[in-house]
Amino acid sequence: MLLTCLVIALLTCFVSPLITKFLGRNAGWVLALPLLGAAVLAVSAFADAARSGSADSSGSPVVQQWVPWMPTVDVGLGLRMDGLALVFTLLVLVIGALIMVYSTRYLEPVGKHGTFYLLMTGFAAAMLALVLADDLIVLYVAWEATTLCSFFLIARSGAGAREPAIRTLLVTVAGGLLLLAAVTVMIIATGTTRLSDILVDPVWSANGALTTAVAVLIAMAAFTKSAQFPFQAWLPDSMVAITPVSAYLHAAAMVKAGIYLLLRFSPVFADVSVWNVMLVTAGLITALFGAIAALRRYDLKELLAYSTMSQLGLLVTMIGIGTPEALKAAVIHTIAHALFKSALFMFVGVIDHSAHTRDVRELAHMKLRMPVTATAMGLAAASMAGVPLLLGFVSKETMLKAFLDAPGPAWVPWVVTAAAAVASIFTFAYSARLVLGAFGGRADRSEDSDDVVREASPAFWGAPVLGATAGLVLGVTPFLLDKLVTVGATASAGEEVEAHFALWHGLVPELFVSLTVIAIGTMLVLARHRVHHAMAPYDFPISGLDVVDTAREQTIRFGGVVGGWTGSIAPRRHLSIPAVALIVIAALAALTIDDLPAVVGEPSDPLDWVLVVLIACGVVAMMQAKTLIAAIVVTGVVGFGMTVWFLQLGATDVAITQLLVEILTVCVMVLLLRRLPTTFEKTPPRQHVIPLLVAGGAGLATTVGVWALTGRREMSPASEYFLTEGYNETGGTNLVNTILVDFRALDTLGELTVLGVAGITIAALLRARKPSPERSANIQDHSPLIDARDNTVFVRTAAKLMAPIIVAGSLILLLRGHYEPGGGFIAALVGGAGFALAYLAAPSDRSARVQMPYLLLIGLGVAVGVGTGFLGYLDGSFLRPLHPEVFGFQATTALVFDVGVYLAVIGVILASFNLLGRPPKRGGQPLVGGSDPGAPTHESDVSDAPTDREKRAEGESAASGSTSSEHSRDHANNPEESDEVNAR
Amino acid sequence: MTVAITAGLLVFGAVYLMMKREMLRVILGFILLGHAGNIVLMAAGGTSRRDLPYGSPEDLSTIADPLPQAFVLTAIVIAFSITIVMLVLAVTGNDDDDTAAAAKEVQE
Repeated sequence: MLLTCLVIALLTCFVSPLITKFLGRNAGWVLALPLLGAAVLAVSAFADAARSGSADSSGSPVVQQWVPWMPTVDVGLGLRMDGLALVFTLLVLVIGALIMVYSTRYLEPVGKHGTFYLLMTGFAAAMLALVLADDLIVLYVAWEATTLCSFFLIARSGAGAREPAIRTLLVTVAGGLLLLAAVTVMIIATGTTRLSDILVDPVWSANGALTTAVAVLIAMAAFTKSAQFPFQAWLPDSMVAITPVSAYLHAAAMVKAGIYLLLRFSPVFADVSVWNVMLVTAGLITALFGAIAALRRYDLKELLAYSTMSQLGLLVTMIGIGTPEALKAAVIHTIAHALFKSALFMFVGVIDHSAHTRDVRELAHMKLRMPVTATAMGLAAASMAGVPLLLGFVSKETMLKAFLDAPGPAWVPWVVTAAAAVASIFTFAYSARLVLGAFGGRADRSEDSDDVVREASPAFWGAPVLGATAGLVLGVTPFLLDKLVTVGATASAGEEVEAHFALWHGLVPELFVSLTVIAIGTMLVLARHRVHHAMAPYDFPISGLDVVDTAREQTIRFGGVVGGWTGSIAPRRHLSIPAVALIVIAALAALTIDDLPAVVGEPSDPLDWVLVVLIACGVVAMMQAKTLIAAIVVTGVVGFGMTVWFLQLGATDVAITQLLVEILTVCVMVLLLRRLPTTFEKTPPRQHVIPLLVAGGAGLATTVGVWALTGRREMSPASEYFLTEGYNETGGTNLVNTILVDFRALDTLGELTVLGVAGITIAALLRARKPSPERSANIQDHSPLIDARDNTVFVRTAAKLMAPIIVAGSLILLLRGHYEPGGGFIAALVGGAGFALAYLAAPSDRSARVQMPYLLLIGLGVAVGVGTGFLGYLDGSFLRPLHPEVFGFQATTALVFDVGVYLAVIGVILASFNLLGRPPKRGGQPLVGGSDPGAPTHESDVSDAPTDREKRAEGESAASGSTSSEHSRDHANNPEESDEVNAR
Repeated sequence: MTVAITAGLLVFGAVYLMMKREMLRVILGFILLGHAGNIVLMAAGGTSRRDLPYGSPEDLSTIADPLPQAFVLTAIVIAFSITIVMLVLAVTGNDDDDTAAAAKEVQE
């Protein structure tokens, strides 16, 4: 049942873009339904559990579900709903649904709202997963998911939202890391990831230090999420988000995640003094700071943001007190806060939309004729202020009672109650400021012509009115919440808690506190102008935002400093580091290792020495080469040497691959030669000394390492298995190929992806930046080389014949790869060689017949690979090869997988020929004749559109002599262009 | 021993070329380094058994280890694609491989 709820929420998230596509902003109507449905499901599941009597140790009914996910490491999608989870589930889903409905009128009628609904439903799903999680890993993932959702929701609210979104992310991610640390410690200490087991684990009473450490980590994580001192700054900062986002963030989602975490771990830590002290201190400071700061705001939304901070502070204080009474208060206040805060935010959004401002100073000049909004908003604000007959009053009474009965030294109840009372007085004052600021101010009553603001449509104010009315109904009949708060507080206290709420408790101490609060609050409201004048000059000395920003800047600067150690224009500086490290490691090893196993068999063959000499010649020639062509040719020598080496070692397939790659590498290099200088730099002899020493040392280290560390054991069990069972298991005789496509296909799939990414990288690089201009070939006029058409006649004729044969041959190689030398890689390389021939034979770049949708081929290759992988699930696991019989023949899906390999590899080869050999139109024009080879050809290289713009820009600056604002904006958008223009 | 010497030679050339200024030489160095890595992988499987790993052999004592072969096969293709990417990097971006032209500019 719980899984169904979660799946419903996730599905809602997945389909939301589609629904939004058809319904636009009205998608909220549809999206609210599954959320409500999931809420009903959750309640009925819980009611069933309560009836059937399945309860945990504390006596709270509980619904559990465990879906195995990674059984080997004991991680599963563990879901568990006790009373506490039920309370938060209802908040998340019901408030979420209200906000969805509200969004249908808040959002613009036209516009793209797909990401909004996607992220909001995703947010709901993440919160649901968080509160239902019974597995710490799931809990942590959900926690981070809410962080990401809030980041994207804030960030999508326009250009000004970028910085606040990043600051929010930094603070909340830091909290996520703390939670990760706590989760890791808990899993290691208890040996399980199951939250319900961890909470009752004996380790907490046995190991005090551990308990304290985890309590601090959890508390800090929750502080970042719930904007508690000293991490409070991000909450008002994130006000840039649109109103539905803020409403959800403040009422039911983001910040309530922290409260949930604290309540969840309260049974374990309620007796840990660090926990009590931290929570009560941070909570009270935040409550006071938020309440006072709220009173100074002009922006109604900002006022609400500080108010949330303050209310959360009170909640954290209640959890910090930790008595059953206090937890009961926390649960009911969470509910009350969710109702009035979501309503208030939505009303501010209504006012903002109708009056086009939410600034108290501007609203004072308007006449808001919005009777429904005004009344309902007044109700919600009264609930926040703790006025009798409203739910806020009930919850505040419960809170004050808990504070008056707080355990500990005698002064504790007095201090906590006094602080809470002061915070409540300011709460009363800012609640009044909110309503009076919106509707009360009539700065110039006389003129009432233009600035009359009328009521919005009922669909707009319907959702918040519902929330505000619920606060009234539940305030008058608070006993309706008895059951919910009882189970919630029981789960959070870890012992039986009975909650009975009534409108009238008799003449109890907390009533007098409440009355005092209301009395002083009323005085503050009456004297509000004087209060405001008195408070205006004082500002909080340190801005939390500046701290975050400074920390961020310093981190980036520190990164720059660390990066600077390795960054250098001379690549040799950092490229030599690994080589030197290799030498050092080898030297250390030579000094410490003195006992090596015996060499097995005879690792060398007399013929090998021929190859050693061949490779040595090639390597030395490469080092000596003065021109690029020479270097490339001798690179080929080494490559062919390697080919023979592989043959000599019994690796036919590898040898074929090496041979083909060698050919293709040379072909690709030739394509680039025309863009590079013809000769290398001459270096003075003394500059050879250090490179030779480093290279020599590294080479020696390699030789000694290979000699000492290889060839001293028998064949590995894995290889023996492949040799003895490979044929029986796969039906393929080419064991190397069966390893590639049957046994270790996941590796190969990874490699395909790397190839694909390489192809895309090439394409992206060449599309983003133009390649260096081509250089002149310096061909004489009477040279026979001047006419490409004539002198390619032989190779063209040959290619016409050979290219199709080569491509066809490659297909044969592909098909037989499972049994004989061949397979996807080799076949694709042969095919690629065919295309290379077709390209090289063409008289000009343009006429080469290699145009194929290379990116599509790469994508198809990876898709085929992944698709075959999923096919493997028919027989149990990803990428498991199937061996169906087709028309009496033994077929294998490994062959299909090899086709994927083929497509991806050939895609990459085609990409390089197409992109490098036939550069797009914007590429450099080859210079004809013997003009200056190094001449820059920027003029001919820029594409048409920027050229026009440049001309205009030039004309403008020439005409005006100075840069106009539009002009400079144009430049700001195109920094590269402006550089070019400036350069002229 | 021969394989060890070959690997050493390849690393020698690779490191030397990578400490040069031109991107193309650095790339050639990387190609050599790729060869060296491949031959080391082959050595890891043992070079005393050199018969082709085909079919279902009876006597395993002379058959080459197929596992490093499979690794090397894919490694070669990956190295190829990395080479292409590096080659593209050599021709995009700053045209500073041209040391002759750069020197001329400095003189001017």
